[in-house]
Amino acid sequence: MDDSTKLFLQRFMRRIPSYMLRTTLEKWGRLTAAQQKSIDFTQSKWALTEALLTICEENKLAMKHLIELEMIYIMDNPNQGMWYVLQLLDPEDDAHSVELMQFKEQFKSHLKELVRHVSIKIKNHTDQAVWIRIAWGDAFSRPNHLKPTFGVHYLQTPYVFVTNLTSKQKPLLSQAVVLSTRYQAIKDANLSGRKLTAIRDLLMRKYQQVFPTKYPSPLAENNQTISNPHIVKEQAEPAANRLHMACKAFGGGALPQLQSAVYKLKTKFRDDPNKTMTEREEPFRCVVKFESTNLLESLRHCASSGIASTPVTPLLSCIPLKGRNYFVITDNDSGPSSQTHQPQN
Amino acid sequence: MERHRNSVTSKSKSYRMSYRSSLGAAASRLGLTPALTGRRLDTRRRAPKSHNITEKVNPEQLALLTKTEWQLSYVTPLYRFRHTQLKSYSGQLSAFIAAGKQQGLAVEVFDPQTAFRVSFSVVQGMTESDDDADTVLIQIHSKPLFARQDEPQKTVWSGLLTCVNANPEYLRSLPEYFICLPLFGSSGAEGLTALVKSWFQQSFDCCFGPLEISHTSLQWLMALWTNCHTESSIQHLKMIWTLPAVPPLQVTYTVNPEDAWELWSSVRKTRDKRGGEEEENCIDIEEVTSFMQGLKSHFYRHFKLDLSAGSLNQVSTALGSAKSSGRMKISNSRYMITTLALLTECALFKMPI
Repeated sequence: MDDSTKLFLQRFMRRIPSYMLRTTLEKWGRLTAAQQKSIDFTQSKWALTEALLTICEENKLAMKHLIELEMIYIMDNPNQGMWYVLQLLDPEDDAHSVELMQFKEQFKSHLKELVRHVSIKIKNHTDQAVWIRIAWGDAFSRPNHLKPTFGVHYLQTPYVFVTNLTSKQKPLLSQAVVLSTRYQAIKDANLSGRKLTAIRDLLMRKYQQVFPTKYPSPLAENNQTISNPHIVKEQAEPAANRLHMACKAFGGGALPQLQSAVYKLKTKFRDDPNKTMTEREEPFRCVVKFESTNLLESLRHCASSGIASTPVTPLLSCIPLKGRNYFVITDNDSGPSSQTHQPQN
Repeated sequence: MERHRNSVTSKSKSYRMSYRSSLGAAASRLGLTPALTGRRLDTRRRAPKSHNITEKVNPEQLALLTKTEWQLSYVTPLYRFRHTQLKSYSGQLSAFIAAGKQQGLAVEVFDPQTAFRVSFSVVQGMTESDDDADTVLIQIHSKPLFARQDEPQKTVWSGLLTCVNANPEYLRSLPEYFICLPLFGSSGAEGLTALVKSWFQQSFDCCFGPLEISHTSLQWLMALWTNCHTESSIQHLKMIWTLPAVPPLQVTYTVNPEDAWELWSSVRKTRDKRGGEEEENCIDIEEVTSFMQGLKSHFYRHFKLDLSAGSLNQVSTALGSAKSSGRMKISNSRYMITTLALLTECALFKMPI
């Protein structure tokens, strides 16, 4: 095994948590049963790395085998790093009939035409997802396996999720994806997050969206505080309404875990008591960033508890509705505009 | 020691009485009640004058002051603290910390075998009035943990004791031998801060307490900093709010500096120019609250979220940043005096006497 392969394995071993190692190696399937048994998983990472290096040399494994291992790990743990969503536009007539094998071949050949030295690995996952791993090189250097880009495309949808993609690599990947999926263009979907599963669920509406309308009263709280029965009676209907509207905007049940939403506001200042500012022509520029461990739940709670007025403003309900979390708001349209945004890498 | 204690108790009693008489009894927190209660935050302030203190203050000290984020506390007046005795205080504090280290305190900062050095220094050039005591800087130098042999000593802990523009009546009402340096700032390991504070408490019979920066003070800082935009660009006006949702929602609201300035100018009341320059430079609390209200309304118009439901945790501009937990950073030396004056006032206000 050459030095770069060793380095790759060492880096990988540093990254993977110890408790995941056994199952990932089993799934990889490149160790014999005896070898798998011989590894003592209670050792320190350093010792484990040495043991694994020896075994890989015995089996004469090369870089192309190791990247399979990495890919298995990432596919099982996609909720790390920062994922950005791209959306394909204007499908050709045959876009919907693109099959897996066709996509794979086409993507590989298109990308190889664009980039001289590139290493591509494609695997399909259980739920219609095609995982792509790309190690980029250029005209003079071999592919760099230490900084691969990962992409996930769900066939039959126009979405591509990417992580670790630099701004130089983006047009190349975009071109290859567009050509191989038989669409005409691709743009930023203005949605990003740390958890792939969350942004995927948000985008593809794989969570309970409609609140069951037959729910008669606000959900029972866990800690029953002693409250004034008059207040409770008086507030019962407004509270139920707020809850209903909050769930209509965001959905009932568990919500996908988005971490943040950013709004760039370029609208005119309007606060009637302040005449000077209201008459001003220029926009009042500001940026608002909402952050939370689970943003959609926080917003839903704001709406149901009255911190946010209901009906929920379209600016906020746009997040689940349009599946985006970056918006540029100007006065021209009543809702958020769909200007593109370059994700920072 | 015995005599010292007795004289302190009798002095502290008379001190309490004289303080009360000079400023009125009940404390009113809101600052807007009519004049019967004297003890409240100013409702009018002079707009920050930019002080070019870079010429008056030692540049090393100034660098320390502007590059550090200070954790603020208030401290009651110090009995028999003398600016002439700073060298002896350095020695005493050194011994105290060494004894503390022997007992196993503050070992996470520097290991027991490393030598350390304490230095007290006076910062000349910061006082505006003659009544204010000079600012004192305290630094502890040592080799940090895991440092190599040849690495030089670095400052591992810094402290600041200051008093800027304190109410002169209050200062004159203090009994003899009491020095008022109500604002204490610390930066560095918590263990060392605790040691330094206990040394002060033992040596000068004073009390420390945390100084949180209240919502009103944060608003003042916002307004005062924005007011300086024409002289030194604030570059942005950033506010961080926390809303009590489940899970908690953090809102970072950053405003373009020119637009913030325009909004601020629009809420300023027209002033009678005959009052002179002093009158023109005054800022009323109503203007500050209108400014904040304008920002909140603009936010509400878009998101239908009322920021008043939450709490303002942090305000920052290029001139400095302030957090409600009591952490403060003054990045621009030109406005240091005015910011410290506001904080001195907060410290005096919070003192439990």
